[in-house]
Amino acid sequence: MTAQPQLTVEEKRARLSGEHPATPPPDAGQPGPPLLHRVSVAVLLAALLGAGLLHWILVRSFKGATEERASRAAMIVARAAADVATAHGGEGEPLAAAMTAWQKEHKTVRAVRVANIDNRTIEASSFPEDLKEGEVPRRMQRPEKPLYDLGQELRANIEANVSEGNKREAEVSVERKPGGTLLIAAPIEKEGAVAGFAQVLSAPEIVSVSPPSPLFALAFALGPFVVIFALSFVWRGSNLLLVAIAALLLLVALFAYRQWAVKSLVDGAQEAEQRFAERVQREAEIVARVAPGAEANAKTWDADIHRTPLKVDPVQAVEGQKDAIAGAAYGISVLSLALLLFIGLGAAHRTGRALAQHRQAYSYIAPALLGMLFLVFFPFIYGFTLSFTGQTIYNVNQPLSEIWTGLQNYKEILGDFTVIKQTAGGGRAANYENFYYTLFFTIAWTVVNVAIGVTLGLLLALILNTKGLRGKTAYRVLLILPWAMPNFITALIWKGMFHRQFGVINHVLAIFGGTPVSWFEHPLTSFAAVVATNGWLSFPFMMVVSLGALQSISADLYEAARVDGASRWQQFTSITLPSLKPALIPAIILSVVWTFNMFNIIYLVSAGEPAHSTEILITQAYKLAFEQYRYGYASAYSVIIFGILLIYGVFQNRMTRATESIA
Amino acid sequence: MKKLLLTLALTLFPVMAFAQTEIVVWHAYRGGEKTAFEKVVAQYNAGQKAIKVSSLAVPYDAFADKITAAVPRGKGPDIFIYAQDRLGGWVTAGNTIEPIDFYLDKKLTDRFIPSTLQAMTYRKTIYGLPLNYKVMTMIYNKALVKTPPTTTAELVKVAKANTNEASGRFGLVYWYSNWYYHAPLFNGFGGGVFDAAGKPIANNPGNVKSVELLMKWATKDKILPAEPSTALITSLFNEGKAAIVFSGPWFLEEVSPKIQYGLALLPTIDEAGKKPMRPWMTVEGVYIAAPSKKKDQAFEFAKYLTDTGATKILALEGSQSPANKAVYNDPQVAANGVLKAFRAQVDRAVPMPNVPEMTLMWGPVTTAMNAIVQKASTPKAALDKAQADMVAQIKKLKK
Repeated sequence: MTAQPQLTVEEKRARLSGEHPATPPPDAGQPGPPLLHRVSVAVLLAALLGAGLLHWILVRSFKGATEERASRAAMIVARAAADVATAHGGEGEPLAAAMTAWQKEHKTVRAVRVANIDNRTIEASSFPEDLKEGEVPRRMQRPEKPLYDLGQELRANIEANVSEGNKREAEVSVERKPGGTLLIAAPIEKEGAVAGFAQVLSAPEIVSVSPPSPLFALAFALGPFVVIFALSFVWRGSNLLLVAIAALLLLVALFAYRQWAVKSLVDGAQEAEQRFAERVQREAEIVARVAPGAEANAKTWDADIHRTPLKVDPVQAVEGQKDAIAGAAYGISVLSLALLLFIGLGAAHRTGRALAQHRQAYSYIAPALLGMLFLVFFPFIYGFTLSFTGQTIYNVNQPLSEIWTGLQNYKEILGDFTVIKQTAGGGRAANYENFYYTLFFTIAWTVVNVAIGVTLGLLLALILNTKGLRGKTAYRVLLILPWAMPNFITALIWKGMFHRQFGVINHVLAIFGGTPVSWFEHPLTSFAAVVATNGWLSFPFMMVVSLGALQSISADLYEAARVDGASRWQQFTSITLPSLKPALIPAIILSVVWTFNMFNIIYLVSAGEPAHSTEILITQAYKLAFEQYRYGYASAYSVIIFGILLIYGVFQNRMTRATESIA
Repeated sequence: MKKLLLTLALTLFPVMAFAQTEIVVWHAYRGGEKTAFEKVVAQYNAGQKAIKVSSLAVPYDAFADKITAAVPRGKGPDIFIYAQDRLGGWVTAGNTIEPIDFYLDKKLTDRFIPSTLQAMTYRKTIYGLPLNYKVMTMIYNKALVKTPPTTTAELVKVAKANTNEASGRFGLVYWYSNWYYHAPLFNGFGGGVFDAAGKPIANNPGNVKSVELLMKWATKDKILPAEPSTALITSLFNEGKAAIVFSGPWFLEEVSPKIQYGLALLPTIDEAGKKPMRPWMTVEGVYIAAPSKKKDQAFEFAKYLTDTGATKILALEGSQSPANKAVYNDPQVAANGVLKAFRAQVDRAVPMPNVPEMTLMWGPVTTAMNAIVQKASTPKAALDKAQADMVAQIKKLKK
């Protein structure tokens, strides 16, 4: 090989990518105008994104606050109506008259109805659709089935709350209708049981919480941009420092915008609370006129959907809302910062250039990229997101934001160190359901299995490789059969073979004079059973790999070694093993990952018996998801498994690069 | 122009005249049951023109999860047929099944065996019409057992006479380590898994006593084989090595034609004051999907499906045990020994709980039963642990 002239790194790269730079690339220490403008663009886009998202969060939060005020006001009215109806026993002519009189006193009430569930009647109503079906009071007709079902639901919820001693279910039904009206149904109780309900359609007049105009968001976003843009013309320092300054300005701007915007939440909170107290007072006066005595429970009207009277501390309530906004703001800040760094540090530019240069290559892999996006990345990201929630089978229909628990699942899994626990008899035993025990067991399982698989596979490959062996093809086919047959079926067969009375293994043991073993009664024998099964299943793969690699070793090496006087063992360790390494190492990595996640064997052969002592991480995750139905927790478990295997993969990769360079 | 309008009207008229309501029904039937069900659907469609029913067979394993995922989003059927064990969970999840109290009157509710209607009730509201039930009973090999035992004392005597462990013959063979198959015993002792308020009671005295009786059979009387599984039980029975099996209609399909089998009521438990064994009954019900826009029509079909005519076809051709009372008076149905036996047994059966927590009962009690059967733990200790696990898991779910 002739000596090549030394090329600089830049020139080598230029040659490889086929570009011929007309001007020498700028020195990283002294960025020219194009690079600095990049930072300005970056900070502009990041600030717009951040401020835009923050504004959207604020609008949603303020709208939520306004809606809450509206439903609170409507709730007071509905509860009052229910008390008026209760005072009249929930049925009868006087009730209808009282409800009409009550509605006349309210400008904001569009319609009110009283339904009796025990009698399946509508006792009073000013809803046009009820009156169309017939004169009220009357029996409920088919179109009113939803009303009957609603009453039954309220009754069942209230009884469940009473029996549990804990107000978990909703005792009042709140429905938001289009146009800003609220339909609220409050139960009517007679002799301790729910007899029916009063439903009120109202459009409460409340002072709304209005968010600041989006122009302010724009102003706050433009702040950092203006500063950086001006700075970029006189900047003489490094690009990195400018990006750092831009990042700081961005975070400060977003923080300032948030602090300024939530001021309108704080203002007026005290007055709003005062107005609710006045509402209750006014309502009590009306009810006293229409149904004297029914206003006795006025203090309970301002309540939540569990009919627990609200004791709202306006300051605390606002603090709570501010905290919620702050939580979202942190996420938004991280996102905008990421965008700033992505564009500002040149990554965006490099990505764009790579895409443009290798247009053809990227268009070839685009379909596969799309496929992977939907089939691999999307489910993975969904699972990852799910691991931060507390989703179970009971709250599958709730949006994820409502059941968000953050790192709670991870803390429960990784923070639980009770590997040894006290048993009822006073002794100590391993806690088989602990994550660390399962991790230890999985690692032991993997190491033992891979060792057995490699040893057996290599041994059989060496035997099969002997020159002049007759029937080699037949042996090879027979020895590959364990791998070829579906491991689901063979696992079940092996499970049957380990049966204490009818299993073949115990019969063979008995023939040789041993005592039959109850394989799945003790952790160690259970472990032996699953290792035997998996060993039988995994050696063919190793054998095939070793056989292929063995046949690629040239016979000359062995000749030379024999001439030099090397023993068989020395030949094996100095020639055979090193030559096998490039083939065996990838096979071992694959085998480790497969064995680590070998669900079928553990689930079908031992099913984790006895008492979850032979569970591996993946079967534990399966049981959490599909037998305990704790989807969020199981997702966190799976993400941790992925993390472990990822670390292993990266670590192994480094090691193999080291070994390959030696060979 | 007029001609065009006339032609248009004439072509559209036939379409308008045959404006039927189409309703979709999902089921998980296969084989004989599927054929019988489709026959009923065809009969219904032929008998009237207002409603057209189309049925779709969905594989059983995915069925419940498909309902949970598709129905609340409005992508499911109008009616579906499923067992009652997921009822509570679906009601809690919301927007899945429609309460049907409003449609019911006394004439309709009197049609059904009362306990089957109770199985379809959750929190005092009825959510579906019961279609059929499945219940465990005693299946015996007529060649080995001349008269079936009626008490547990007789059972042990007969089983001992038919047991020879060395040659692999056992008097009583059933999946005793499975909580479902253990239900006749613990229900007979007055135990259970949930109390009336829906709270777990896995370690109540009745359950403990029932497990102690089971262990007496296994260790002292030695009439039960070790490590039972459905494969083992079926193969032992078909080889004539099992005298008595406790199982349900699903087992009868696996019995080889060489074996002459008989069905009898599960014996009464002497140790529980001669109270009868009460197996769990699984009731398949016809549910109406909550987002359906054709609930009234769906209910009409549900009424037809659970009426005498349709259930007779499902019983005779689909081998189902209908929840309809009157169909058993039909001479053809009355002549069927298997149906008669299950009808007698269901009077002593207890509906399986349908509360949402039912789904997470299986894990802890299976672990407990395995520990007890492997003698790794005493009955009381294992059931105490199962109770603690259930309470902890329910607390985590009910946050």
